[in-house]
Amino acid sequence: MEKIIEVSGLRKSYGTVQAVAGIDFYVEKGSLFAFLGPNGAGKSTTIDMISTQLAPDAGQVMVDGHELGRDDGAIRAEIGIVFQDSVLDALLTVRENLMLRGSLYGMRKDALRDAVASAAFTADVMGFWNRPYGKLSGGQRRRADIARALVNTPQVLFLDEPTTGLDPQTRRKVWDTIRLLQKERNMTIFLTTHYMEEAAQADYITIMDHGRILAKGTPAYLKENYTRDMLKITPKKEEALHALLDREGIEFQKTGGDFVVRLRHTADAIGIIDKCRDEIAGLEVRRGTMDDVFLNITGSEVRN
Amino acid sequence: MWAMTKRNLKLFFRDRGAVFFSLLSVLIIIALYAVFLGDTITGGMKDVKGVDFLMNSWVIAGILAVISMTSTLGALGIMVEDRAGKIMKDFTVSPLKRGSLAGSYIFCAFAVGVIMSLVALVVGEIFIVASGGEVLSAENMLKVVGGIFLSVLSSSSIVLFLVSFFKSRNAFTTASTVIGTLIGFLIGVYIPIGSLPEAVQGVIKVFPVSYSASFFRTVMTQQPAAVSFDGAPAGMLKEFNTELGVQFEFDGKMTTLAVCVIVMVVTAAVFYALSIWNLSRKKK
Repeated sequence: MEKIIEVSGLRKSYGTVQAVAGIDFYVEKGSLFAFLGPNGAGKSTTIDMISTQLAPDAGQVMVDGHELGRDDGAIRAEIGIVFQDSVLDALLTVRENLMLRGSLYGMRKDALRDAVASAAFTADVMGFWNRPYGKLSGGQRRRADIARALVNTPQVLFLDEPTTGLDPQTRRKVWDTIRLLQKERNMTIFLTTHYMEEAAQADYITIMDHGRILAKGTPAYLKENYTRDMLKITPKKEEALHALLDREGIEFQKTGGDFVVRLRHTADAIGIIDKCRDEIAGLEVRRGTMDDVFLNITGSEVRN
Repeated sequence: MWAMTKRNLKLFFRDRGAVFFSLLSVLIIIALYAVFLGDTITGGMKDVKGVDFLMNSWVIAGILAVISMTSTLGALGIMVEDRAGKIMKDFTVSPLKRGSLAGSYIFCAFAVGVIMSLVALVVGEIFIVASGGEVLSAENMLKVVGGIFLSVLSSSSIVLFLVSFFKSRNAFTTASTVIGTLIGFLIGVYIPIGSLPEAVQGVIKVFPVSYSASFFRTVMTQQPAAVSFDGAPAGMLKEFNTELGVQFEFDGKMTTLAVCVIVMVVTAAVFYALSIWNLSRKKK
């Protein structure tokens, strides 16, 4: 295992507000790393610091052996970023945009042309290659943004909410590209997203809130530790099931006529179902989801 | 840096609105002049020989000074736009040096200023010739072209210093409007300096761009003035020059071309230094 990004004791404050309050984590080379947190958790600030955009107040960051603050140029050469907002020039065509951005990485003409063609091919933007970026649809723009981020064939690709506001087809397409990059080019993907079903596909997840890291682990580990599976029973006769569960000492909650039992392990459901067999009109066993993990860790109140 | 400069130029010339807006004050001058200013100014000199040639040259000279400022300001709008939208981030995540990035905006502004000035000069000369004047002599043409480089250099430095304070589109648009409106007064194009009160004359005399105007006026009115004031007493030419801001008077002494050149060079040096200071100060 090789660590391509290593962050320790990273801090950043704006006035009295601590945006990032001393965090440590690492990203394995070639992995798909998901960085989650509610709005205002400090994710973007963290990405800005790792990508040399913002000077940290304290802490150390290593990107592929280069130290942040000392080797910023080398770090910039090795990362690609897909920003939340569009950052290409609306009045230039996709080709002009990519050629210009590519030239910022100091490539010679031939190498530049190859790199741009390869990026364009990977992100599938050839179909609207000569159209102005400003005239593209949302999905096409996103693909052009990804092509831009790939133009310097980066080691690490940052994607800041890459699928927000896209239709399901485009989201799938973006994901196909992301997986292709990870599997076939062994690129490290550093992703932030609000879609938990997307995060669930990551190799490793870090959840952040209020500038601190609250949990990290594989999706399976997080589900195991931060969610409970749930058994939901629709009774034939409510009183009878109530009495039965009380007698067996099984804790439950009633919601809308259904009995909900929280389970420590999924398999525990079998015993309970067996005991209540005669009283069950319908049932559902639901495993914890990433949504549950997220809400359990960051709390369920809505923030602005 | 050259790729970025090319990009900025493309963005400017593809944005028709930006090009039009940077020419707006020039169009206003032409319209005002065509409608009534021309008559007002030449009213007292009806009997002077070749007065149209003289006054047309004078106005075109003023336009050259105005355009050096408004067009560079328009071009620097790209920098403000990049900062306000987050496009700037896309450049700062690349290994491109910060200095090269700033340089690309400055070179673009300079190129836009020179291109627009040259176009204005060509169109102006065609207009002068079409209305009965003669084309600039080779020597004067060279002087004007040289003057364009200097005037764009000095105007762009002032504009860059201003723009280095702006982060939002709003601030920039407001400044563009104010500058576009005021510039015609500040260098005495709308109303000749001689017709203005003493205090306002003082403002014109300390405004550096007035010296670009003075430079162009001196060179461009040389030929027509030789015709118009042929045989006239020397005092008349001097009066014309002071009244119309061809030269500025300080304690009875008249400014010369050399003074104009010095003012433009010093302005460029001072304001580029201030701009660089202000731009680098912000990064912390």
